[in-house]
Amino acid sequence: MEWDWDFVWEILPTLAKGVIITIQATLLGSVLAMVLGLFTALARRSPSKWISAPMFVFNDFIRGTPLLVQLYFLFFILPDLGILLSPLAAGVIGLGIHYSAYISEVYGAGIDNVSKGQWEASKAVNLTVPQTWRHVILPQAIPPMIPALANYFVAMFKETPLLAAITVIELMNAARSVANESYRYLEPMTLVGVFFLLVSIPCVLMLRHLEKRFAPNDQR
Amino acid sequence: MGTPIIQIENVSKSFGSLSVLNGLSFDVASGEKLALIGPSGSGKTTILRLLMTLETINDGVIYIDGEPLWHMEKAGMLVPADETHLHKMRAKIGMVFQLFNLFPHKTVLENVTLAPTLTGKLSKPDANNLALELLDMVGLADKAEQKPAQLSGGQKQRVAIARALALKPKIMLFDEVTSALDPELVEEVLNVMHRLAAETDMTMLLVTHEMSFARDFADRVLFFDGGRIVEQGKPEEIFSNPQQERTQSFLKKIVAGGRQI
Repeated sequence: MEWDWDFVWEILPTLAKGVIITIQATLLGSVLAMVLGLFTALARRSPSKWISAPMFVFNDFIRGTPLLVQLYFLFFILPDLGILLSPLAAGVIGLGIHYSAYISEVYGAGIDNVSKGQWEASKAVNLTVPQTWRHVILPQAIPPMIPALANYFVAMFKETPLLAAITVIELMNAARSVANESYRYLEPMTLVGVFFLLVSIPCVLMLRHLEKRFAPNDQR
Repeated sequence: MGTPIIQIENVSKSFGSLSVLNGLSFDVASGEKLALIGPSGSGKTTILRLLMTLETINDGVIYIDGEPLWHMEKAGMLVPADETHLHKMRAKIGMVFQLFNLFPHKTVLENVTLAPTLTGKLSKPDANNLALELLDMVGLADKAEQKPAQLSGGQKQRVAIARALALKPKIMLFDEVTSALDPELVEEVLNVMHRLAAETDMTMLLVTHEMSFARDFADRVLFFDGGRIVEQGKPEEIFSNPQQERTQSFLKKIVAGGRQI
């Protein structure tokens, strides 16, 4: 089997469309995961067991089942209940829900990492609870979360090929379809791999930088 | 003397099944400097934490300036206070902690100015001026732009004192403020507190294991054991001529442990 540059140029426009969908799914999924994750992280801290307990169960359930199974439920089983989602919408929602369970843990750990003494000192200087969150807790909780969040976004990006299973024409699916038509797998799959590498490597480098920059320092 | 600034009446507090305070009562006169001493777990820190509203009260009433701290009067009845009432009452009280609890992401100056500006008491320039004045008083005006992590323990604690003073509380609570310090740094913090006691008419409550300091500093010493006041009186009475056996054995142990009186 020989590398065929003409074939590469021929399939590039189709793959480029797939790239756009892959990026869209990652970005939208990340935003959804961050918002949902914040919601569940806060709900888990609720003093009411009726609110916090279901959130713990939800998170464990999501983290204990494969993303692929969740995608199948969203795309093939929800329509039976009258909820019809486009492939991309189902994919974004699937990614968003799945990663929100992990990101919720990141938020929780970040907030727990701020010592109890910070809450007490804030009370002693008579800050209100919202002022304490805004000026004392979150500014300390968020920076250490950033590397962990970025890590999950890279992981999500690399899992977008799973969306092919629910007919989203993202990069993997686009590559598979040109391969199926031409019986040539070498070029399309290589291009897929190269694209993921080109995006992941800078992300990983940036991550290392973030980890160094936000390394936890003296909390006192 | 007028009304006591703090009246503690029949206060009880337990953590789960562990009863820490059980029907405790005592008054503090305005401007009084009070030292609370006693073995660990005797409930002295819990009193400060109840006064700062860091722990909730189980039973009894605490009055600050004649007004209930943990309760509000509604139709002649005392009902549990809401957050608005607690917020209002906290303005009268400041606290310095054993572990400093400075805000690590803020500069020394911002640590002091944060609360006065957020509570709307002072404009930013006024708060800055006040903060510099207070930092000067604790001898740290030159550290204003540094972060707490760059300071020694003694310096951190002096910043924490300045931060508490910025809100001009009537009552200051000091919770074992030198216990986490290296021995050679204790002095600088105690000096600041001495100055404060001499120069202001603030009411000060001090939980401490520094007996010699308690002796110089306090108008009155309360010896606690098992959530009760076992003995109280002027420092010279308590330290030189304790009447109760438990006070005697506590003070003896502290001397044997190498701490001086």
